[in-house]
Amino acid sequence: MRKRSFSIIVCALLTISVIFGTVGIAFADEAPKAKNGLSKLEDLNGKNLGVQTGVLYEDLIKDDLEGEEWYYYKMPNDMIPALESNKIDAYLIEEVGYYAQRYQHPELIRMEESPGYCDFAVIVGNNDKQDRLFAEIQEFIAAKKADGWLDSLYDYWVKNWDPNTCEIKTIPETTGENGTVIIAIEGGYEPFSFESNGQFSGYDVEFMMNFCAAYGYNWDFQAMEFDSIAPGAVSGKYDFGMNIVVDEERAENSVLSDPYYRCDIVFVLESDQGDESGFIAKLQNSFNKTFIKDSRWRLFVSGIGTTLFITLASLLFGTLLGFAVYMLCRGGNRLANKLTDIVCFIIDGIPTVVFLMILAFIVFSNSHLSGAWISVLGFTLIFGCGMYDMLCVGCNAIPKGQYEASRALGYSDSQSFFKIILPQAAKHFLPIYKNDMVSLIKETSIVGYIAVMDLTKMGDLVRSRTYDPFFALIAVAIIYFILEGVLTAVVSQVEKKVDTQKRSPEKILKGIKEVEW
Amino acid sequence: MIELRNVTKEFDDVTPLKDVSVTINDGDVISVIGPSGTGKSTLLRCINMLSAPTSGQIIVDGEDITEKGYDLNSVRKKMGMVFQSFNLFGHMTVLENIMQPQITLLGRSRQEAYDIAMDLLNTVGLSSKALSYPDELSGGQQQRIAIARALGMDPEIILFDEPTSALDPSMIGEVQSVIRMLAKTGRTMMIVTHEMDFARKISNRVFFMDEGGIYEEGTPKQIFEQPRREKTKKFIRRLTSLSYHIKDDEFNFEEMYDELQSYAEKLLIENERMSKLQLCFEEITLNNILERDEEEEKDVLVGIDYSEKSDVLVLKIRYKGEHFDLSETGNSLFDDVLEEKTTVLEDEVFPPEEPSKENPFAAYNNKITISFKWEEA
Repeated sequence: MRKRSFSIIVCALLTISVIFGTVGIAFADEAPKAKNGLSKLEDLNGKNLGVQTGVLYEDLIKDDLEGEEWYYYKMPNDMIPALESNKIDAYLIEEVGYYAQRYQHPELIRMEESPGYCDFAVIVGNNDKQDRLFAEIQEFIAAKKADGWLDSLYDYWVKNWDPNTCEIKTIPETTGENGTVIIAIEGGYEPFSFESNGQFSGYDVEFMMNFCAAYGYNWDFQAMEFDSIAPGAVSGKYDFGMNIVVDEERAENSVLSDPYYRCDIVFVLESDQGDESGFIAKLQNSFNKTFIKDSRWRLFVSGIGTTLFITLASLLFGTLLGFAVYMLCRGGNRLANKLTDIVCFIIDGIPTVVFLMILAFIVFSNSHLSGAWISVLGFTLIFGCGMYDMLCVGCNAIPKGQYEASRALGYSDSQSFFKIILPQAAKHFLPIYKNDMVSLIKETSIVGYIAVMDLTKMGDLVRSRTYDPFFALIAVAIIYFILEGVLTAVVSQVEKKVDTQKRSPEKILKGIKEVEW
Repeated sequence: MIELRNVTKEFDDVTPLKDVSVTINDGDVISVIGPSGTGKSTLLRCINMLSAPTSGQIIVDGEDITEKGYDLNSVRKKMGMVFQSFNLFGHMTVLENIMQPQITLLGRSRQEAYDIAMDLLNTVGLSSKALSYPDELSGGQQQRIAIARALGMDPEIILFDEPTSALDPSMIGEVQSVIRMLAKTGRTMMIVTHEMDFARKISNRVFFMDEGGIYEEGTPKQIFEQPRREKTKKFIRRLTSLSYHIKDDEFNFEEMYDELQSYAEKLLIENERMSKLQLCFEEITLNNILERDEEEEKDVLVGIDYSEKSDVLVLKIRYKGEHFDLSETGNSLFDDVLEEKTTVLEDEVFPPEEPSKENPFAAYNNKITISFKWEEA
């Protein structure tokens, strides 16, 4: 008992130190310091520079710099903490992004010299609607450029950006007579696409809503990692992908519209005017931003729902699948065994992210299966393989004599398996099952790649709005931890049930009235 | 009654049973003995179809159970089986090991199964272990429980597959006494065993198995005291033999000596005894019989037998032609050998030779037989 309480205390201390350590890193007050002296493009030689993955802005300047090192970030806002912790000396971002960030982080300044500009286009999905949609979007962009609507849209969202007041003023009406188009957006990228009061908003969103209204489509916005947008559209899974940087290589491999906006690309630096509010106030502000404002806790709740759905469904189906396959292979059918081995070998050998993306963008690129169901399918297959392996290992660990003895007594094949082999094998494989289950829960955090709004993705969305990673990340981590704890506890209960050696004599003798002793 | 008709069992590389036909009557207690790998266990496992025969029929109470689609589970309920490695179910208590099959397979109530189980546990003297798990018991205790489990199903026959082979010597007795007790109750039993004394005392029929079938069958008296066939005799006397045929000058003596060396190591024959045998062999064959006449055809048959049962090593030399008298050599080597009355021992341990196909020694007119016993100094 004493040993146990000791270990609990150690665990608690460890947890606390981890949390405060993280707090310390996230909120350590840096003394206001002179900006790192960079002011011209040539100052950047040999420096560490940040850029968002997949936007290719670095190509504009790469040839003019020497000895610089590039760091790639998934979300534009992740570069702010990197800059503040001096991991990078400056980062490249389009001017609009910079304006949006500066609203929350006044300490950010831009380098006056600009390496260039970028044109942004819409990528049209490679499916049977492509030709028509391409013609329509071209026509729409040309018309809206001509009548000045695009400029006014740009002014409203970008030049005069204020995150507190900017909303889509009037959502256009659409007849929807020509069906629905699926539009891939980043979803956490102010001011182009972001989550606001439970809906997507921003330049890209309003632009596409007006396009859809003009041509009689219903819209379906799907948020995903930025680097999934173009591949998803090329595979035909999405009809449009937004905010694609125009370059020659892309233009060759995919169908890009004319640019729908152009903006400067700038380097962002940290000024010497640091944020000087107190630690507690910062913490409160951060908590408020992460959970209370705009009822963002709802995002977490819905993320938990999605993650739970994917996890539980995959667990259930995966367990059943693995079991069913094992029962088929148990008879020793050579074809079934060979086939299962090959399938498991392939599935186990592919990284989970890649496997899911193959399912979403290749196998089911043209189906109407939602991302969540594709994830369930993928994880079912992965967990099924694990389950099959577990059963093989567990049942092989039971001596052959157990099966023979039960058959010799007169048990049928299935009676032998369920009454003699499985109860003993369960003791061997349930601990592995628990581990696999925890891995599965953790692995579901990658479904954001195929446009599923799970807990991790929701945390990312919130983070991209608050420009503050602390509470969003810690909350997500804690929620995963709780989910794992609950499911592990359930399996542990099963494990206890299976361990017959721990039963009381009363339980063993249940139903026997006259006990002679 | 169980009848085996022309049962053959083939595996990929061996055929342990070839065309075996035999009848097991109710009340028979049959011991199955024989060298390893002669299909004793296979025979047992074919009877309850744990391994199905390749061909042939097994008739149990007038029904052919080898027929396709025959309900084997029901016939197996009538045949108990006790394994070499006990095979008690590890996740059940001793009590449940005996109760569960009755409940699941015979549909008995828990109370009924419990009463029977406790009765049987009393019989095998282990009622105090009812709530223990198999891994908490000794091998002998586990095997007694396994017998009780088989008995719980009220079988018409019990098949014992080497029930004491996995036990250490101190536990063999307790298991054998339980089996002996069962034999007295008139239950039909079939026991594969390596314990000759046990087999002799317990059974009314003995099957000696070799050459892919039942090589010799008889009462314990017939098999153990007057075995008729060559391999049975060798097995009963626990003989291990080597033989060499020396026909010309190219015979490789080096190879023979190497073989003798490993033979001695394998059977734990003392070095002194083996080197004495080698000296005698060299004196008789190399220095005398083979030396006698260059012109004469060389034909000497050498046999070396070792009986583990009597711990006697025997050198047999058979040759054709003129008789050669050991005492005439004047070699002191033979002095103490000749003083012993080897002939008496020979008759007891080694059967007198009758001319037959199986015995190549019988064709030679001259013979020398020397026994080497071990005497502690």
